[in-house]
Amino acid sequence: MQAWTPLLLAALVLCGCSKHEADKSRRAPSPAVTVTNPGQQIDAMRRGIPIDQEASPLPMARVENFDQRRPVNYEMQPPTIPHAIDNYQLTVNTNRCMLCHTRSNAAKFQAPPVSPAHYVTRDGQVLEQISTRRYFCVQCHVVQTDAPPLVANTFKGLEPEAEASPRAMP
Amino acid sequence: MTGGPVRRIVAGVLARLKPFWTTFRSPAVHLSLGFLTLGGFIAGVIFWGGFNTAMEATNTEAFCTGCHEMRDNVYPELQQTIHFSNRSGVRAVCSDCHVPHDWTYKMGRKMQASKEVWGKIFGTIDTREEFLEHRLVLAKNEWARLKANDSRECRNCHQYDSMDLTRQSRRAAWIHQNYLGTGKNTCIDCHKGIAHQLPNMKGIPQG
Amino acid sequence: MASRRDLIRASAVGAAAAAAGLQLPVRPAGAAAPGATEGVKWSKAPCRFCGTGCGVAVGVKDGRVIATEGDPKAEVNRGLNCVKGYFLSKILYGSDRLTTPLLRKKDGRFAKDGAFTPVSWDEAFDVMAEQFKRVLKTQGGGGIGMAGSGQWTVWEGYAANKLMKAGFRSNHIDPNARHCMASAVQGFMRTFGADEPMGCYDDFEAADAFVLWGSNMAEMHPILWTRVTDRRLANPHVKVAVLSTFEHRSFDLADIPIIFKPQTDLVILNYIANHIIQSGRVNKTFVDRHVTFKQGNADIGYGLRADHPLEVKAKNAKDAGGGRPVTFEEFAAFVEPYTLDRAAEMSGVEKGWLKQLAELYADPKVKVMSLWTMGFNQHTRGTWANNMVYNIHLLTGKIATPGNSPFSLTGQPSACGTAREVGTFSHRLPADLVVTNPEHRRHAEEIWNVPHGVIVGKPGYHIVEQNRMLRDGKLSAYWVMANNNMQAAANLNEEGYPGYRNPTAFVVVSDPYPTVTAQAADLILPTAMWVEKEGAYGNAERRTQFWHQLVDAPGEARSDLWQLMEFSKRFTTDECWPAAILAANPSYRGKTLFQVLFANGKVDRFPASQVEAGYANDEAQAFGFYPQKGLFEEYAEFGRGHGHDLAPFDAYHQARGLRWPVVNGRETRWRYREGADPYVKRGAGFSFYGNKDGRAVIWALPYEPPPESPDAEYDLWLSTGRVLEHWHSGSMTMRVPELYKAFPSAVVFMNPADAAKRGLKRGDEVRVISRRGEMRSRVETRGRNRMPRGVIFVPWFDASQLINKTTLDATCPISKQTDFKKCAVKVVMA
Repeated sequence: MQAWTPLLLAALVLCGCSKHEADKSRRAPSPAVTVTNPGQQIDAMRRGIPIDQEASPLPMARVENFDQRRPVNYEMQPPTIPHAIDNYQLTVNTNRCMLCHTRSNAAKFQAPPVSPAHYVTRDGQVLEQISTRRYFCVQCHVVQTDAPPLVANTFKGLEPEAEASPRAMP
Repeated sequence: MTGGPVRRIVAGVLARLKPFWTTFRSPAVHLSLGFLTLGGFIAGVIFWGGFNTAMEATNTEAFCTGCHEMRDNVYPELQQTIHFSNRSGVRAVCSDCHVPHDWTYKMGRKMQASKEVWGKIFGTIDTREEFLEHRLVLAKNEWARLKANDSRECRNCHQYDSMDLTRQSRRAAWIHQNYLGTGKNTCIDCHKGIAHQLPNMKGIPQG
Repeated sequence: MASRRDLIRASAVGAAAAAAGLQLPVRPAGAAAPGATEGVKWSKAPCRFCGTGCGVAVGVKDGRVIATEGDPKAEVNRGLNCVKGYFLSKILYGSDRLTTPLLRKKDGRFAKDGAFTPVSWDEAFDVMAEQFKRVLKTQGGGGIGMAGSGQWTVWEGYAANKLMKAGFRSNHIDPNARHCMASAVQGFMRTFGADEPMGCYDDFEAADAFVLWGSNMAEMHPILWTRVTDRRLANPHVKVAVLSTFEHRSFDLADIPIIFKPQTDLVILNYIANHIIQSGRVNKTFVDRHVTFKQGNADIGYGLRADHPLEVKAKNAKDAGGGRPVTFEEFAAFVEPYTLDRAAEMSGVEKGWLKQLAELYADPKVKVMSLWTMGFNQHTRGTWANNMVYNIHLLTGKIATPGNSPFSLTGQPSACGTAREVGTFSHRLPADLVVTNPEHRRHAEEIWNVPHGVIVGKPGYHIVEQNRMLRDGKLSAYWVMANNNMQAAANLNEEGYPGYRNPTAFVVVSDPYPTVTAQAADLILPTAMWVEKEGAYGNAERRTQFWHQLVDAPGEARSDLWQLMEFSKRFTTDECWPAAILAANPSYRGKTLFQVLFANGKVDRFPASQVEAGYANDEAQAFGFYPQKGLFEEYAEFGRGHGHDLAPFDAYHQARGLRWPVVNGRETRWRYREGADPYVKRGAGFSFYGNKDGRAVIWALPYEPPPESPDAEYDLWLSTGRVLEHWHSGSMTMRVPELYKAFPSAVVFMNPADAAKRGLKRGDEVRVISRRGEMRSRVETRGRNRMPRGVIFVPWFDASQLINKTTLDATCPISKQTDFKKCAVKVVMA
């Protein structure tokens, strides 16, 4: 007996609901298209594919997620992020990064704290919390995927990682 | 928490149905007792089955996203998250997190939901602007519920005992062991906004 | 400089740390491991990438750049850089740097279908000169073209402009900035009669509201975004409105998030004007004194080839920029139909948001900064969109005062400094002069010290037209410098590639790296980049910034300036100029273009010894004089006393940039306002002196539909653009491992429902197909961009995924800038 009311209500509301989505046609992907152009290998960035042709793009790369800090080349270079940040919200409403990387929480979460420079305003004042100009972390700190670079880079930095002691993130 | 309101509402409904009930309870003149008993049983099965089917239907994603408030606001946010699409294809629909699985709790939540239907009909949240205005209140309701029930709906799928911490990133494993395993914190303490965008979190602890 | 700079930063951060109770590493800043700073020399330079113009400190040791840091003394960024800037030092060191000229050869000779073969500079220039002379003989200077760049240094653009317009007598020189800024330029010229913003970056710290019109500053102008963020978060009354056709990272800061249907920004702009008028908030005093009204021609076509049906049909395709004076009342009546209801219906935006947005402008108490880049400029009505945003600032008088600032951002480091101020467009000369004006030509000829009549009076082919003309065989000798136009220009399949590979065309590409454009060339010239040469850039706020040559270019690579000047030695006036001009000016007879243009007594008047001690200058060494200084001082003659005043050359090597006009040693932050701009007379209040009457123009302009919209077959809007980690075509950033690994391949950002409807999952290989061509990519339903249904976004940085095979080469008919944000495509599983 007690079942009647919700039943009626549900039935009524259900009338207004849409039906299942249209049938999805799924098929297996076609074999990858490869094109090579051995005579004109001057652009490794196109993987040897002539401009007027199209080959299969590289597979989607994965974000490296191993929590090991990577070396930096020089003092003020922002460290890359060694973990996935999917759905870490970073909006005017909330900053997920600072949950762990703020100086007061860093030890608790075993995360490297942001460097002191982050507490300085545009006008050189020092704040208790990070400067709002540094609010959007991902403008400087980026994740790294496992995609192997197509072209090597011969840059040589100062190799500061020779140091043994841990240091704050610049 | 939910027993009282359910009984009160049912009593109210019964009062309104009283005239029909009177007719309904008058003895049948032409039918045999056996027929009535059997018929009643079958009818009961049908009603009960029908009720549960209907109730389950209100738990589907299609039902929830039938209203534009859900389809245009919270659903697109869910679609960007791991609870919608992930490695193994096990995913959550709205009701997995927002409706208790246990019958008693579920009935309570469904009764509460009628208030949301009211909101729908009278347009409390009709636009994105209004939704954003109300998001903090809506979110606080859900956080309070999950905090009070020790993240019961999270734990329907994510049980600490079944977590193989060696398969989590070191950082996650360490935190789970120290805070979840010890009972110091419950899931929602750290995982607010796991499936939706967050309102202004000023002053709200997140972990 | 090293020790002083270190000291300043160390003390600033040290004090900061002490106050916050933080422990600092004991090493001085800039030093990594103890002893490692020994022998490191630090110098200033502007960043190589976008138009923001951040200052960087460049550390050099043993002839190599070993570090770059944000320059704490640079006013623009005060010590900050974005991720690209922090990894800037690596752009020089991609292992495939070009170090020798490469010529297509077969059987030991140049052949269009030959294979690239290393050659000497002599052989390269011999073949190139032979080809250019062939074209001079058969087609005249009009057969020669040049695609230049907003990444040229000021003097490189100036030298190229002279070589083309006075040397070869060809106006077919146009920068890639045409793809980027042309609509902004035309917007400025039509409204104010003078190019470039009246305000400056100081407006960021003064505004109460920021409105992003189609701009994604969070990714494209990250350092300016830090200033918006700083202002918004530190001042709770500040509002940020973000308008776009899809949701991107800038929405993370938005108080007023607006996703509109493509092209309906025009409707929203007119609605705001209407709202201001209807609600009685027109600043009548300002409008009466400083504004006139005009109605622009409508039905102006889409800048396609003249025989395209849409052009044939358009009534005013031939006079796209025309208009007639109207009254305020006529303007009010013109925008009256753009009601809130209509705006909401056409744009698909909730009325509440539109009203909030309109109020930001209408409320006299709110200081508004409007910001835009490609959303407005790459638009078939781009010039209109620019005019229309000025309309709403002018109606309310919210202009040229701190915080009240319609601000056109730029995409390239010297789009303003080189492309616009030097006038390397096909219709321009330096300092807002144009080739169509005989007085302007005469003035330029006098400064250049060349005979009257040398400069041709007809505008040349703009960069979109150049590809068409290469294909049609009308342009046959073509030099591409500091751009990657094969990858960047729309409709690669039908125009760009067939043009470059046309057997009648000889195409030269100068670049540090083997780009897609280089690959399509006949001759590739290896080029010095950034701090491998002395340079000057001008950023979006009129700030001119200099840097010294800090390291040598690798191998045989030479700067664009050296290439232009050296190549000019191979031509004589008799080969390039008509006999009549030479007969009237016999002293020019038989001289090389080098002698006439560069050894003219002005460009060569500063000795090489004036190069600052401690810095190399390969060009001064090669030519025996200080060409950068000579070119700059000659160029500065155009603007001094005419509202474009530049400081003396040497001042810029000292300052962290100066904003022109620089009068009596003082830069100008706000133009057109009394007290801030030395060109505004006392008592005038404001003066828009670019126009003869001193008044700015409010333009009555309607909504008009885009040339191509999705239909049953091509059912999706395609928008293209950038991502934070890569700059433009990625020729530099894709070679920096950290930037590459952060975003290695282009993807098709797509709404999950659109993907599901096509049976697609994240990561699936797809073909993006338009009426013009197709490319292959992969589906992305998550990540930084959240697409509404019916719209996809594909970034164009990836050389291996050329999205411009699909885009439409329709332009704003006034500015000739391509609309890269709207065309119709379909997406199918590969």
